[in-house]
Amino acid sequence: MAATDGKASLRAALAAACGALGVAGAPAQATEVRTGVLGYTEPGRVSALELVGDAKHTFAGGQAATFRFVYDVLSGSSANGGVPAAAAQTFTSPSGRGSYTTEAGATPLDGTFRDTRFAGSAGMTLPWGRLTSATLGLYGSSEHDYTSLGANAALTREFNRKNTTVTLRAARYEDSVSPEGGAPAALSAMLPATGGGGDDDKLGPDKDDDDNGGDSLAKSVTDLGLSVTQVLGRRTLLTLNYTNSRVAGYQTDPYKLLTVVDPVSGAPRAADAYLFESRPDRRLKHAVAGELLRHLGRDVMTLSYRYFDDDWGVTSHTAELAWRANVAAKQYLQPNVRWYHQTAADFYRRWLVDGQALPEHASADYRLGDMTAMTYGLKYGRTLATGNEVSLRVEYYAQTGESHPAEAFGDLRDLDLFPTVDAWIVNFGYTFGK
Amino acid sequence: MRRREVAMVLAMLAVGAAAGGCASMGVQPWERDVLSQPGMTPGEDIVTSALDEHIYFSKEASTGGLGSGGGGCGCN
Repeated sequence: MAATDGKASLRAALAAACGALGVAGAPAQATEVRTGVLGYTEPGRVSALELVGDAKHTFAGGQAATFRFVYDVLSGSSANGGVPAAAAQTFTSPSGRGSYTTEAGATPLDGTFRDTRFAGSAGMTLPWGRLTSATLGLYGSSEHDYTSLGANAALTREFNRKNTTVTLRAARYEDSVSPEGGAPAALSAMLPATGGGGDDDKLGPDKDDDDNGGDSLAKSVTDLGLSVTQVLGRRTLLTLNYTNSRVAGYQTDPYKLLTVVDPVSGAPRAADAYLFESRPDRRLKHAVAGELLRHLGRDVMTLSYRYFDDDWGVTSHTAELAWRANVAAKQYLQPNVRWYHQTAADFYRRWLVDGQALPEHASADYRLGDMTAMTYGLKYGRTLATGNEVSLRVEYYAQTGESHPAEAFGDLRDLDLFPTVDAWIVNFGYTFGK
Repeated sequence: MRRREVAMVLAMLAVGAAAGGCASMGVQPWERDVLSQPGMTPGEDIVTSALDEHIYFSKEASTGGLGSGGGGCGCN
């Protein structure tokens, strides 16, 4: 057994050495296909099913072509931003034709959330000498109220006997947002439902008239990135990344509301109690991240950290640890834990107070609030006799925030203003052609 | 200088310092046996990474870092 392991190790070392020295000759043509199915469910809220297919074909000349297709479908309830109240509340659905009611004390959830997304991308990697390669790619995606077109480029150069890899990346997306019912004016009041024979579908393909509104609003995203991967030793690899993302254009969530509450009772005011949110149309984001891979015994530990900061006032820290335990020949178990904490955006307001001047921008979207999230997961993977690989991963994800903030008053003091949002994630993967 | 500019400069310095200090690190080509084993390639499982990025992009305010900067989705 030891002798077999020794031969395998020697073969791996020789193969790796040949690859590193570039003496392997013309690479053989090969096609690798990775597929994944993901089920995501937040009990009582949204559910999603996502399918991904990713293919990579390497040509004899070393060029590589990649293609990816993503299809996902989402449905269920999503928090609309309003605060719970001591009495039942009625909201107009995004189409403007229907309405939904939230029970007393419950977090207002818009149950009409339904969407389907198709996304596809293609890329080509071209070697440029033995140490340099360039990658060019195109991206497109479509949802009923959102379209995105993008292009990306990357330049990779290896140094130091291929122990150091530096990659520069750039990407540009041109997005188009067509909110259902039209884009509401910033901080304008939610209007009563018009009826009109429609249903509450925000997104349904069976809707009986034009749900896409007439407005089409533009958003552009420019991403720049620099990454350095360094071999630190025979068993250790470190990657450092910096990304800069500049977003310009419409970034408001046209379906999110804020509640204007009475300054004494904390209850929604009698008239025009719900206003549509408003976000700045510019955002500059920075992220610095590091990932350490360490081979320990026969296992692999992956430890990563990310610091994020933007000019909306959001700062976040993310740390993740994964441990790939190679429990048997061609089988592994990989537990992982992720911790995430973010501060609130400057314009995040859980509610607005009647009689006070409206801010220029305001959003009650909890995803822009102070929040901590934890993910716990376990993945099992094995290589089949055919050489194909199969994996199954189950994760639990939970977001928590300030349920009873100190500034709450009146009725708000007794209500849960940030209920825990939890989700179960099941992910099946199958890879062939490696 | 604003905080984000400080962060950007620090990030660039860190990456630059790391790259500059790398010339003396690394292994010889024949010492890459462990590095070539499954699990030792950054971003090896690209499909799982893409699925994770989509979830976290939809549920949190942060993007970028080890993944993409974020774009091409109306989910946030």
